[in-house]
Amino acid sequence: MKKTRRIETMVELVRILAAIGIAYLIALVTLFAISDDPVFIIRQFVLGPFSSVRRIGSVINLAIPFTFTGLCFCFMYAVNKFNLSGEGIFMFSGCIVTLLAITLGRFGIPAGILIPLLILCGALTGFIVSLIPAYLDVKFSANIVVVSLMLNSILTFLSIWVLKYFMRDPTIGSLGSYVLPDAARLPSVFGKFRIQAGVFVALAMVIIVAVLFYKTIFGYKMRVVGSNQHFAKASGINMTVTIILAQLVGGAFAGMGGACEIMGNYDRFKWTASTQHGFDGLMVAVLARRNPILVPVAAVLLAYIRIGADVVNSKGDIPIQFITVIQGIVILLVAAEEFMGRFKKNLIYKAAQEDMMKDRERETREIMADAEATEAGKESVE
Amino acid sequence: MLTLEWFASFGFSVLRLSTPLIFVGLAAVINKKAGMLNMALEGMMLTAALAGVVFAGLSGNVWIGLLGAVVFGVLSGGVLGFSSLSGKTDLYLTCIAFNLIAAGGTVFVMYLLTGEKSTTSAAIKAYTIPSLKIPLIDRIPFLGNIVSGHNLLTYLSFISVYAVWFFLFRTRLGLRMRAVGENPQAASSVGINVKRICYLSFLVSGVLCGFAGAFMSMGWVSFFMTNMTNGRGYIGLSAMNIADANPIGTAVSAIFFGFSDALATTLKSQGTGFPTEFIEMIPYAATIIALVLINMVRINQRKRIEKGQKREGS
Repeated sequence: MKKTRRIETMVELVRILAAIGIAYLIALVTLFAISDDPVFIIRQFVLGPFSSVRRIGSVINLAIPFTFTGLCFCFMYAVNKFNLSGEGIFMFSGCIVTLLAITLGRFGIPAGILIPLLILCGALTGFIVSLIPAYLDVKFSANIVVVSLMLNSILTFLSIWVLKYFMRDPTIGSLGSYVLPDAARLPSVFGKFRIQAGVFVALAMVIIVAVLFYKTIFGYKMRVVGSNQHFAKASGINMTVTIILAQLVGGAFAGMGGACEIMGNYDRFKWTASTQHGFDGLMVAVLARRNPILVPVAAVLLAYIRIGADVVNSKGDIPIQFITVIQGIVILLVAAEEFMGRFKKNLIYKAAQEDMMKDRERETREIMADAEATEAGKESVE
Repeated sequence: MLTLEWFASFGFSVLRLSTPLIFVGLAAVINKKAGMLNMALEGMMLTAALAGVVFAGLSGNVWIGLLGAVVFGVLSGGVLGFSSLSGKTDLYLTCIAFNLIAAGGTVFVMYLLTGEKSTTSAAIKAYTIPSLKIPLIDRIPFLGNIVSGHNLLTYLSFISVYAVWFFLFRTRLGLRMRAVGENPQAASSVGINVKRICYLSFLVSGVLCGFAGAFMSMGWVSFFMTNMTNGRGYIGLSAMNIADANPIGTAVSAIFFGFSDALATTLKSQGTGFPTEFIEMIPYAATIIALVLINMVRINQRKRIEKGQKREGS
């Protein structure tokens, strides 16, 4: 049994690496095929993110929102609900946090109180908003994907409305809010890397979520509900509460991500379209196989590819959208059970066969030993 | 504002905006009857919309464009089928990933072909599928203005409602498809090839999405635009959900969503004092509300039936 599990984990790892490898290869081939100067472009794509201290910093910076939304989707995924509202929550909570920061900034609250308060408010926004699809799904079995996607559109418009009517700065040409007060800005850390301090929040959250997932009763309940509904019901787990609560907590993480993103990377709120970080989070969760500890790894990986594409986009003739395609392909490959499925089955089969052979050998040996012993006994009697 | 003429033009735009929703809703019906919830209609439609414009532009013939749209719709159906049926990927994830690929891929291809990132209107010559004036009916004063003069695909969408109904309920293949949707094990035990039927349903819904996409880019407007489907795939899916996968009911609820879409468009163009953001929310909010309401009614009904059965039992 243990052996099978080890093989499964190993194959899983190989599979994910293979999927990323294939997708990366496709990306390289595409770049090679369409670019005028493929060698230069590919070098930019692969090495670009490491070419300056600043860029390494921006890889980490980009990985921070991915980590948050990735954690969000770990929860949704754990109870097997494709609640995609993380996308809208990220933007909406950024908007709400900006509004609060501008309003509270007038009272001169010190940063030490204001920043945690704002992060908490972001989390609360996510918590409340994700209640809508979760509740409608459980109570009225309204398709959760449809409801959450529609909700995302609504949240986008709502954010724009709040931006336009409550905090628009008329002095700047483009649509944007007033400048965030200094007390509501996350400082940059690590000197030249200019990484936003949200990285600590993100890492702390990863640890908290990992503990929540694997060391608490709630986490266990959640995983049981996700892996086998019938068993969960039979063992008396309150399904409705677990499913809704998991999504609410997930939403809170997306909200926290929006808050940190605004306070760490922007001086004012100026998103007029959805950030797509929600879907990035989905990909991160899929790559991490809903294991919160692997989320930051997957997030950094995605951020690396993203920044590479950004570099290519600014230096060459390749639109950044091709990364979205690559992202879709990775999700498809990682999620495909049959992709390297035969390989896994063969390995497990072989291991089982080996075990069986060993058992048989041992058995024969034992029988032989027994026989010898009895014979020896007979001889001694004689 | 509220003249007879206004109502006529409003009715006209309701039918016009319902067209893609009807097609997509029917595509969802075909998938649902085979037991699958297809969330990738959005991406299929987007792919077809771009293919239509590109093929029409390259060949200079609008019908080749339409054919291209349908072919690409079918191809995307095939990709979905391959991934979910042969690759055994979770259908939800397949669809979400496919939508991502379509959203990014269309922009990517558009950029490669035209060098533009938002629309093809400048680079590719515009073609539209011709409209049809129905003789006699267009002379009827009020009704004629609403019903006549639509794009050919609008009429085709209404014919498709009947065609899909006929296919599902009057042909052997349709019966088999419904059997697979009801209980795949039972269907397979009587010798139906479940996988093939599921593939077929993806391909047929690909054809319908092809028409929907072609209407978006060669009827509604005459160019391709980034993310031009704008959630219509999901709205069509909800139309199917509301009607419990009945083709005629799906068309009716699609028209209801077309109505909310037309309402939003008209209100926006007339410039009421209301913030446009809230007007733009109307189609999406209507979808959620309709979904919830219909499910509420359905759950109540089921409860009443259960109660009745209990009473009979005791």
